[in-house]
This record gives sequence, structure tokens and C-alpha cells, in this order.
Amino acid sequence: MINSLNDKTLQISHVSKRYGAGTTEVTAVHDVSLAVSPGEIVLIMGPSGSGKTTLLSMLGALLKPTQGTIQLNGTIISALAENRLPDIRLKQFGFIFQDFNLLSALTALENVAIVAELAGVKPSEARRKAASLLIELGLSERLNFLPEKLSGGEKQRVAIARALVNDPMLILADEPTANLDSKIGHEIMRLLRRIAQEQGRSVVIVSHDQRIKDIADRVLWLEDGEIKDTVITLAPRASAGVAIDPVCGMSVKPEQAIQIEWKGQIYSFCAQGCRNEFIEDPQKFNLEVS
Amino acid sequence: MISLAFHNLFQNKIRMLISVGGVALALLLILSLDAIFSGVEKRVTAYIDNSGADIWVSQDDVFNLHMASSSLPDSVARRVKTVQGVASVSPIMYLTNNVVAGDERNLAYIIGLPENAKFGIPWKVLVGRDLPEEGEVVMDRGVAENSGIGLGDDVEILGEEFEVVGLSEGTASLVNSVAFISQKDFETMRGSYDTISFLLVKVLEGESPEIVAEHIKARVRDVTVQTRVQFARQERQVVKDMSTDLITIMNLIGFLIGLAVMALTVYTSTLSRRREYGMLKGLGARNIDLYLTVLAQAILSVMLGFFFGLAITLLLTLVIPFIGINLTMVVSPASLIKVGAVSFLLAAISATIPIRQIAGLDPAMVFRRR
Repeated sequence: MINSLNDKTLQISHVSKRYGAGTTEVTAVHDVSLAVSPGEIVLIMGPSGSGKTTLLSMLGALLKPTQGTIQLNGTIISALAENRLPDIRLKQFGFIFQDFNLLSALTALENVAIVAELAGVKPSEARRKAASLLIELGLSERLNFLPEKLSGGEKQRVAIARALVNDPMLILADEPTANLDSKIGHEIMRLLRRIAQEQGRSVVIVSHDQRIKDIADRVLWLEDGEIKDTVITLAPRASAGVAIDPVCGMSVKPEQAIQIEWKGQIYSFCAQGCRNEFIEDPQKFNLEVS
Repeated sequence: MISLAFHNLFQNKIRMLISVGGVALALLLILSLDAIFSGVEKRVTAYIDNSGADIWVSQDDVFNLHMASSSLPDSVARRVKTVQGVASVSPIMYLTNNVVAGDERNLAYIIGLPENAKFGIPWKVLVGRDLPEEGEVVMDRGVAENSGIGLGDDVEILGEEFEVVGLSEGTASLVNSVAFISQKDFETMRGSYDTISFLLVKVLEGESPEIVAEHIKARVRDVTVQTRVQFARQERQVVKDMSTDLITIMNLIGFLIGLAVMALTVYTSTLSRRREYGMLKGLGARNIDLYLTVLAQAILSVMLGFFFGLAITLLLTLVIPFIGINLTMVVSPASLIKVGAVSFLLAAISATIPIRQIAGLDPAMVFRRR
């Protein structure tokens, strides 16, 4: 897959990260190259200690590589001075974390709005944008709730709204489904898929969750700091005991799925959101019998 | 970020209570002490302010009453009376001594008044007469009550017995009270005749006290001539000079207590939110954004502490007169400005304590597990 550099949201070339020196030197990431296109979902998997978090931190301009370059929308961010990075992180990246990392003293609305305010948006406009995103993500009844009053799925949706509020081109997600049950996990994956497909944003996910493979365009296997394998994923197919959600394309177990009957056929969905989307206009989906 | 500071402050109620309460108590110490001394300054010049005189004439180089002694030949009264612009004059005798009632000894300005004195007399007498005759005294009501005496009782001044014939109001301060006896008794006790302590002067209507004071200075030698305002200012200055060191030390103690409380609460508050601040840094907040959040939180705490401290001080100014303490507290604008500045300083210094903590936060911590 050869694309020109300008087609890529993110391009990293021969990136390495080493800690310590001499006999104590440890190589966390070694000679990794990667390009992520707009609208593409890249899943990075690998065992614990394989360098996934270090790689993600470098991609998010939180850590400088020892070697190699990281280019974001044509700007080599790995060469930028430290004081320019906060602005890049704020406006060009959206971060989603396993622990949600919401500010405990702020409501859902304020948690999202504060990131827009940091980017220089006026408080009233920031609140309007935050409310609009949260409503779009199905949290209209939860705008003024503190994080402690939200469920895990709701917290993660707030975190997704926060990641989107400054309209970034790249979303970096660290184990976004790890602390969520299966249904909510599917819901979050569905959202990430929408973000990529409908909004054209690139999404890089680090996860152990095999289910995410269903929504990823590529799966990278990282081991000992090096990319050992790249798999371009194909749309999953229905097989014995497995159905395909016609909306998001994820494989689901029919006995655990939300099901509806339409025109004499049973359709299985990974989450309520997919079901609702389907009901709105079933014709627009390429239907397969589940 | 201001709203984050606000929410952070109010999220942990106990920490906020300790922080705001500690600052309020520290500022209360400064405010109330200032209020006490402002009250003393006001009350210490009550006799001068209410004397009815426009000009005070005293012995050369004597500028006030407190801890001073003045002696003028009574001929000064005749010479001053002839000066252009003078309407009338009235001498008073003065010394500082104790009014003894039983075991109680109350420090007082003892004022000797001539018969039919017009100036320098008690300005508000609640019961009895305002002008004492021989063997009589008019004294402060509060002092009399605290000593358990009333009209018709006897008190001792300079070893002589005096019958209380009047009780005056507003004639006591934290420092002393004012007791009025007759000029004849005063002269007899001191054994000095043909001398007076101060000459109180009333100027003609429409005349300027400053100009008439200049005329007196030009006509009468070896005397100090001051308008009532100047004389009162000198009196206050003496109290100020006596209390400045004490006030400075207490202000410093109040400041240090407030600083310790604020520094500790700001530090622990920042420490407990280390991960949240790190996350904000990870998302793109700059160090300055986080410093300003901490500073805003400190300023909010101190502002609340200031208002609580002020409220308690104002409450004390209202309550104290009703519980029998002979004390007037006055919250002056100067004191408010000073305590406001101290509060801001408290907030600013305490907010610098966690700067290293914030600067040292690694934004990459957002991807580390708890």
C-alpha cells in the first residue's frame, strides 16, 4: 500500500526509544515505521512490556523518540521544541484512556468543555460544543453528573467526547474497552468505528481486546519493541455460532446479541446503538442473513 | 481553569474547612488587633474631640495629654483672650493618676475644671451633674460599674475622698478613663496655685482655628499652640508609637499562621490531584495553566477566609460592648486594605509551593496504569 506522505495523518519512520545508557540501556521500541491514513483504524497488540505504551506515548507527543521521526499532518513533531508540544497535543490529538481519567470535581459537561477552553475556545462556546458532543454520544441526561455518578460506559463516552472536542485528526486510545463489560465494550468500539468512518479521523488503538480486531483496518503485533507482524483485516464473516452485526460489521454471538426481526430475518447487533441505527434505515445496510 | 479551581476547592469539604477556617482565624487575629487599636486610637482622643475647644494651648514642647505634663502660668489665659479671633478661653488642670474604688485602681486622666467651665467638661452625662464642686467627682459609668460603685459613693484620688456626683459615657478607653474634679480640689491636692495645665480656646464664628493659632503663637511666647485636630493627631501618634511593635509582631504571627495553613492545604491538595494535573498536562495543558489553577484555588480559599475573618471581627465589634468589656473595636478602611494585601500575599506565596511538583509532572503518566 503505497501512498504519498501527504495522504497520511501520521507517519513514523525508524523510531526507537532507549532508556538508560551503557550496560543499563534498555530498548523499549526499536526501529518502528508506520503510516496511518485518514479514516483508518490501526490496532496495536502485543504482550505486556512489548513497548506498546512507549510507542503510544511517542505517537501522542508525550515522549520524544531517541531516534527516528514522527510526522503529523506534515509537521515533524519529534523535532519540535518541548514548549510547542502541549499545543499540538491539545489540538491535533484526542486521547482515550483505559481508566477514563476524568476530573473528579467536574461534571461530564465541564470535563469536556475544559479541554476546549484550554485550546482557547470561549467558555460559553466550549460548553456548547461539549453539550452537543455529549448529546450526540447519548449522554443528554448525564451532562451535569459528576464522574462518580456515571457508569463505566458513560465515563468512556465522556472521555470520547473530550477526545473529539478540539476536532483532532488523530485519536489515540489506550485499552479503551478494558474496564468495560462486553456490551458496553461493543458500544465503545462502535463509536470508534463511527469516528473513523464517518468523520474521517485516524484511530490508533493499543489493546489486548481481540474483539477490536473486528473494527480495525490493520492489526500490528508488537513484541520486544519491534513490529513482528502486520495483518490487514478483512470483514468478518458469519459462521457457525457467530453472527455479523450488519451495522458495524463486528462478529457477535447470537445468544448474547441484541436481536430484531425484519422482513422475516433475524438480525444480531453488538450494541443498542447499532440496533437503533439499523431501525432508522435498514435499507442502507448491506444485509446478510445472520 | 478558574472553574476547575472552584470545583477542586469545594469538592473536599473538610480540606476546604481547614483551609478557609485556618486563614479566617489568622486574618481574624490581624483584623481584630487592628480593630482594637483603631478603637483605642478613637477613644483615646475622645476627650480632646469632645472638648468643645478649637485650639489647645500647652506648655512649650508639650504636644499631647498621654504620659505628658503641662504647666502654664494663669496669665497666659488673659493674654490669649486678647488675641484677634479668640471668642473665649477656659483653663483645665490635668494629670494622670488612679481613681481608687475599694480594691479597684483605675488609671485616669484627672481633669480639674473651673466653676462654670464651658469647655473640657463631660459631654455626655447619663446620671447626675456634669460639673463637680469641691469634694465631688464625675467619672466614667463603665469604670464605676466595673468597680461596683454608683452615685453617692466615694472614690479616692491622690489620697483624697471624692463623692461621685455624675456618671459620664464615652470617657473610657482600653488605656484609661477620664475623671472630672473641681479646679480648687486639684490645686489644693497639688499645692500649686496660679498655674494651669492647658488652655482651651474657642475661636469666633467664621474664624479659622489654624489662623487664630498662628496669631496666638505670634502674641504669646513659650507656649505650644495646636488646633484640636493637630492635638488629637499627636495624641493618637503616641498610642501608635506605643503599639506599633506589638501590632507588627501580632501581624507577623497572624501572617505566618495563615501562610502555614495555606501552604499545607495547597500542597496537599495539589499532591492529591497529581494524577489529574498530569492527565491535563498530557492532554495539552501548559504548566502556566496549572499554576494559575492552583493560584486561583489559593486566592479563593483566602478570599473566603478573609470574609469569614471580617464577619467574625464585625460580630465582635457588635457583641463586645454588650458583655461589659471596656473596649471599642473599629474596623478601619486602612486595616481592610492591609489585611486584603496580606491575604493576597498569603495566596501568592502558598501557590508557589507546589510549582516544582507541577513542573515535574510527566505528561506521559497518563498512559501508565494506576
